[in-house]
Amino acid sequence: MRKSVLPALTATALFALAGCAISPASGSGSSDAAIKIGAWVTTSGPVAVSGVPQSAATAAYFKMVNANGGCNGHQIDWITKDNAYDPQQTLQVARSLVQQEGVVAIVGAYGTATSEAAFSYVLDQSKVPVINTAGGASSWYTPPRKNLFGVETLYEDQGAALGAWAAEEGAKKILVVHSDPDAFVNVAKNVEPSAVTVNPGVSVETLPVKYHSTDYSPVVQQVKQKAPDAVVLILSPEEAAAYLKEAKLQGIAPNAYGYAPEASTATLTLAGDAAEGFHTLSLVKAPNGSAPELVEYRDAMAKYAPEQPIDFVTATGFARAKAFCEVVKTIEGDVTSESISKAFETAAAVKTGMLPELAFSSDTHIGTRQVQKLVVKGGSFTEVGDFYTPPARKQ
Amino acid sequence: MDQLAVVLISGISSGAVYGLIGLSMVIIYRATDVFNFATAAFGIFAVYIAIAFMGLGVGLMMAAALGAAIVALGGVAVHATIIRPLGSGQMFGALVVTMGLSLVLESIAGDVWGQQPKSFPPLIEGNFRIGDAGLANQQLLNIAIAGVAMVLVSLLFTRTHIGTAMRATAESAVAAKVIGINSGRVARIAWALGCLLAGVAAVLYSSRAGVTPTVLTAALFRAMAGIFLGGLTSMSGAVLGGLAIGVLDNVAASYVSASFRDTFVFGVVIVMLLVRPQGLFGQRSFQRV
Repeated sequence: MRKSVLPALTATALFALAGCAISPASGSGSSDAAIKIGAWVTTSGPVAVSGVPQSAATAAYFKMVNANGGCNGHQIDWITKDNAYDPQQTLQVARSLVQQEGVVAIVGAYGTATSEAAFSYVLDQSKVPVINTAGGASSWYTPPRKNLFGVETLYEDQGAALGAWAAEEGAKKILVVHSDPDAFVNVAKNVEPSAVTVNPGVSVETLPVKYHSTDYSPVVQQVKQKAPDAVVLILSPEEAAAYLKEAKLQGIAPNAYGYAPEASTATLTLAGDAAEGFHTLSLVKAPNGSAPELVEYRDAMAKYAPEQPIDFVTATGFARAKAFCEVVKTIEGDVTSESISKAFETAAAVKTGMLPELAFSSDTHIGTRQVQKLVVKGGSFTEVGDFYTPPARKQ
Repeated sequence: MDQLAVVLISGISSGAVYGLIGLSMVIIYRATDVFNFATAAFGIFAVYIAIAFMGLGVGLMMAAALGAAIVALGGVAVHATIIRPLGSGQMFGALVVTMGLSLVLESIAGDVWGQQPKSFPPLIEGNFRIGDAGLANQQLLNIAIAGVAMVLVSLLFTRTHIGTAMRATAESAVAAKVIGINSGRVARIAWALGCLLAGVAAVLYSSRAGVTPTVLTAALFRAMAGIFLGGLTSMSGAVLGGLAIGVLDNVAASYVSASFRDTFVFGVVIVMLLVRPQGLFGQRSFQRV
């Protein structure tokens, strides 16, 4: 009995080892019929608040494209798995997508820290490109990393845009209220240099706040004491809403500016009329606009994700998928991991009608630095001018 | 001075919610030896149910009351179907079960009502001013409700037969049974009361922070800190501990650092437990080894 089991076990082990040795990227050729791509998304836990609508909107775009004949004739098979916003789970999901599902690219994945946890395996070891992630940091693109491409204006650039915007509107004393994790601190750091670029006489102070604080009365009391001309909020939408409500209660007058994550339905829902006049940034055009691309987005959301809101969060998720498809359309021949990366490196003037016009090169793997300015008027976000390019960052 | 008043009252108001959550946990713990980690999830269900009733045209107060009442019945059902079958003396097993239950309830809430935050109106509108500073009337209501709840629960436990039975069961379920106390009935009442209070706490909290399936998680941890500060076996200790946590949190955010408010609060709790392990109002228990 023992003799008969051992050879079988040995054969199984050898077979498994052989399977592990096959590079997933080497087998990444995609048929003409379908392009198999995947993503780790966050559909459970506290971060699902934004993870669910983003992935629903990305899925809505791919469903719409598939219903209309596919992306350049290719059906898109977008496979998603929940990572619960956990880096460890993200790595497991990445292995599953690459090894078991055989995806040729990770597209529209969710999260900065979570995605970073999988980069070594996906980008370096498996040579599978990671495209248009929701999130990102300047370190992802400086220097450009092979197989990694993004379409979202970096948070650091958003910080620079906010500093410049407040200074352009005449603020001489700016207070940056930010959550304390590094992801928020890095954004906050970029407010001062750009504000000073616009007006060297501007002073900028920061006020770090514990992440996920709900009682903002002590924070607002400190803001009141410091008496700034403008307050820049680098907070989650829920925290920004808590700040705005408390600021209104305390009669605080200065303009408040927020970065793109705060341009969400959650901010308006929770802050109510306290959000009136709130300045924010967006990565995309206002989703209630009349441009044909925005009409297409709203129609697709109504058909494929009717339970999700029409807002900046879903519009960005939709636009991310669209940008991927627009670049894939330029690929002649098989759509593989290699051809996707090559197509992105040479993609120029990529138009989605929602994001700013995108351009990539071998030196620039982030497609844009532009943002859309918004102000809350009458309970909704309204655009201020066209896409805006912030001053160049010094750090 | 105005600033200090606002910081203190706002802290007491937040602490009142922590106190109610803590009271909910202590009632269930004392009567059934179960540390109900799903308290926050039960509470959130009350808010979502209230919102659903309001969508049907039911008034705010009635909807909130119905939400809390339905969650109380849910607590009884959970005890009967999940907790009771575990048997007595399974404190850690029950803890893990309630942790799992919490995740399941949050997941169900997310599926049914969505992950997007919803606003929940204050039970009473309006603000009042202390000098140059403003406070919402709802904040005073939070404090009043926590105070009334603490008094009523204390009276229940000290002045009524069922309260005496609950205390007796908490001391020794076997001895209580010998003298004719129906421990099953006591447990049902404790779960109903505990979940009712969790619902009330969630309604008060959501009027300020809105509601998502996990919005009460941070409050749950502060409530637990309040319980250990006040004493795990003390009803009034749970509420006073929660109030102390709320005030410490705000004072730390105002005068120490808004970034280190949690560090300060939990640092104080750790020091307190080192000095007085049974908490401020708890009773020290001894076990033979």
